[in-house]
Amino acid sequence: MTAAVNPLAQILLDGLFTGASYALMAAGLALILGVVKVVNLSHGAFFTLGAYVAYVLEAKGAGHALTAAFLSAVIAFAFGVFLGKSFINPVRSHPFSITVGSLGFAIFFEQAAQMVWGPYALSIDLGPPWTTVSGVVIRPWGVLSFLVSVGLLGGLSLLLSSPWGLPLKLIAEDEEIAGSVGMDVEKIRYLTFGAASAVAAVAGALLAPTSVIVPTMGRVPLILSLIVVIASGMEKVWSIFLIAVGLGLLSNLSAYLLAPHWSYLLLLGVTGLLLVLRPSGLAAIVPNRDYRRER
Amino acid sequence: MKPTGTPRSGRTTGALAAAAGVLLILPLAGIDAFLLDVLTVGFFLAVYSGSWDIVGGIAGQISLGHALFFGTATYACALLTSLAGWPFPLAALAALVLAVGVGAVVGYLSAPLKGPFVALLTLVMGEAAHEFFLGQTFLSPEGAYSWGGEGGIPVVLSGAVSPWTSYYAALAFLVLATWAMVRVARSQEGLIWTALAGSELSARASGVNVSRHKRRAFLVSSAIAGAAGVGFAAYVGRATTDDFSLELSFQAATFAAVGGRGTVLGPVIAALILHLLLQGAGIPPAGRVLLYALVLLVTLRFFPRGVAGTFRERARSRRMVRAPEENG
Repeated sequence: MTAAVNPLAQILLDGLFTGASYALMAAGLALILGVVKVVNLSHGAFFTLGAYVAYVLEAKGAGHALTAAFLSAVIAFAFGVFLGKSFINPVRSHPFSITVGSLGFAIFFEQAAQMVWGPYALSIDLGPPWTTVSGVVIRPWGVLSFLVSVGLLGGLSLLLSSPWGLPLKLIAEDEEIAGSVGMDVEKIRYLTFGAASAVAAVAGALLAPTSVIVPTMGRVPLILSLIVVIASGMEKVWSIFLIAVGLGLLSNLSAYLLAPHWSYLLLLGVTGLLLVLRPSGLAAIVPNRDYRRER
Repeated sequence: MKPTGTPRSGRTTGALAAAAGVLLILPLAGIDAFLLDVLTVGFFLAVYSGSWDIVGGIAGQISLGHALFFGTATYACALLTSLAGWPFPLAALAALVLAVGVGAVVGYLSAPLKGPFVALLTLVMGEAAHEFFLGQTFLSPEGAYSWGGEGGIPVVLSGAVSPWTSYYAALAFLVLATWAMVRVARSQEGLIWTALAGSELSARASGVNVSRHKRRAFLVSSAIAGAAGVGFAAYVGRATTDDFSLELSFQAATFAAVGGRGTVLGPVIAALILHLLLQGAGIPPAGRVLLYALVLLVTLRFFPRGVAGTFRERARSRRMVRAPEENG
């Protein structure tokens, strides 16, 4: 970021913009946790996928935030449905297979990205400033990513409260009843997984201009989303939004005041504290019985 | 420690002895220096994978930050020998104590947690250590490379060790550590860990202090992982941030999943074979980890009990079919 006239206000504004996209990604993770009922460690990989799609489009001269978001959503949905249908659903009842397997997919993707695009940092041009309000530069990417993220989050909120969202809520509540009233639970699960992965990729594509694009870039938003999900719940979209924006501000501030790598350390510390202090954390959201089967 | 498991079939012991014999005479058969190096590193990696199985397989506490113990040991060796100027044996001892200390902390914090939450906490702790050491410069002398960051810190040994000595020392370490781990797994303590992994609720109902035994599993596991780290640091002569990486933690879980969780020997052998195959074929690190991830996903999907686990299951069911015939 070039030196702005009003650095603190600039950081707060950018934190708000990035936080909105993080909220979108966290909502996807919460959806997977609620409907598929797994802790999905591959969520960050889809964020990375979105960012690389944006990079490739930019390099080919067809770079536009909306094109990148749409294309990455399509690709990630296809990957997500494949992963959900062929791996996540069949091994769902084994916590070991799910945690290590989803991490395995993330690492598979990281290494593949490293082989295709190299381990070094890539970047996308931020674009010219749109306007400047009292020393704070507002760029099109920020406004766009904020609007798209808030729009999608609002859509999700609407969906969950509409009759269309009933199957999702019912499966989250009690999958056996959902199955007994004739819902194709498995199909809804992998479609949800695909949609949530697509949403993570959209967040990655939208945030690509402000990010350092490296294969492991998805880890930070994954940890951030985990915090949001542990601290919030599945249905309360607005609390997801508020916590994610708060964390976005916090990580931007700490990156500015200390050094960039401290913001990741800070997020890791928050996650650890939440887990230790709230051991029931995720269990409060996910019906307990799925995790009682230890193997 | 009283062995409580069923006696091993003589065939497994024979096969293991034969494998050890082959490894013993391999250097004499004139393999090249590259392969010797691959094998030596493989021995340390195998012990490290076995140590994961103590806590992750036998005790059922999925650890995704196992590199934390390994890296603590390598960094302690490096910092104490090169910055503080300690002699290596003293530094090695301190490194072991430190690794066990970290194991005690991780065990204490994760004992109240269950299933995926243990995985999340250990992952977060491992990543934090990696990120911390990545951003840390310990010494930046003028006109020379600085110590710390991605390049790591050198480990100072008092004298040069020949590759042959290293190979045999590492092999002896592998055999000893594996023997110890198998003994622990078959002891009373190991039995309690297995019960814990099976069902924490039933273990608690039978009067087992669940938290205490989980902490013990972390202690034993971190001690062995730390020992592997000390050996690795002494052999490679450098501690780098790779020793703390998520990739290394992930490798331990992968080898265990492929070899068969809770079998100790399975993860040890899987680590040796996979490392030998991929490293020996000269595949670069990124490609190697990619293939590990692929092997892991296929194993989890189609052989949830791993190779050794699947074999053991099959042998057991065969024995159960045969037993009534012999009795009747």
